[in-house]
Amino acid sequence: MSRKFLKGKNAVITGARQGIGRAILEKFAENGADIWACSHNKTEEFETDMAETAAKYGVEIIPVYFDLTNDKEIQKGVKEILSVKKEINVLVNNAGITCRALFQMTPVQKARDVFEVDFFAPYLITQILSKKMLRNKNGASIINIASTAGIDANSGRAAYGSAKAALVCLTRVIAEELGSKGVRANAIAPGIVNTGMLTYDEKMLDELLEESLLKKIGEPEDVADTALFLASDRAAFITGQVIRVDGGLLL
Amino acid sequence: MNNLKKYNEIFMKVFSVEEKALEELEYQGIDEWDSVGHMELIAELEDGFDIMMDTDDIIDFSSYKKGIELLKKYEVEV
Repeated sequence: MSRKFLKGKNAVITGARQGIGRAILEKFAENGADIWACSHNKTEEFETDMAETAAKYGVEIIPVYFDLTNDKEIQKGVKEILSVKKEINVLVNNAGITCRALFQMTPVQKARDVFEVDFFAPYLITQILSKKMLRNKNGASIINIASTAGIDANSGRAAYGSAKAALVCLTRVIAEELGSKGVRANAIAPGIVNTGMLTYDEKMLDELLEESLLKKIGEPEDVADTALFLASDRAAFITGQVIRVDGGLLL
Repeated sequence: MNNLKKYNEIFMKVFSVEEKALEELEYQGIDEWDSVGHMELIAELEDGFDIMMDTDDIIDFSSYKKGIELLKKYEVEV
């Protein structure tokens, strides 16, 4: 039987319904974590999926629903999480929206909308939950899902890349401020990953893959494996880092 | 336990201070009440009184006495 790296840990994952978030949820459950699975809308399909996944791995998964564009809703959702009197050991800020448009074609309001979900929502969620994490006996791990677009300067990524760059900076600041209390904060910067958020046309994708070292697109599980490592005690000495999971883009 | 006793005990636990020192306690007045200590204090108070404080109130929470005043907003009479 393989070792369960998150046995006894409790994790909050936003955007757990699909893509990278769903892969992280599966990986964490497989490794013994109890999970609060955050998503926007309550649906029977999601409830069933969470119940089946919980039963499959013998863990507890609690669905929590809130809208990331609404501070009051976020606070309500987080309060629901806090009402369960368990330590929160891991927070994965994964939920996000994408935007691909040239800078001159991106209205300020559109950029604000992207920042709302990709930056301010994780900012608020982390601000509230980290207060509780500070009191854990054995620390905690905050994992922000950023993007290579937040590190590299990619055409068409003014709003999305800027929001992810802000998230990277926030990650480092949190690591700096909470490190002395055992709370680690790291970011993962996925490159081209096979999810519903993939916005490249075929020609652009071919060109990018040709330039990448591994010549292939990543899978959500590739990101989930990195998140598992950062969440686990195997990464106990790692904080303030941004880990690219991109198959060797732009080297 | 009444609210004052609970409020005092949270301060004493978080900052390792004696009860007689509480009245004059202010943010950054002792080493333990730094920004991280402040967040620990707020987390303990939120847990103890089952409330969630607004960020503006967390910022305004500048002393032991001020905290008593702010908690009234959350229907906690200390």
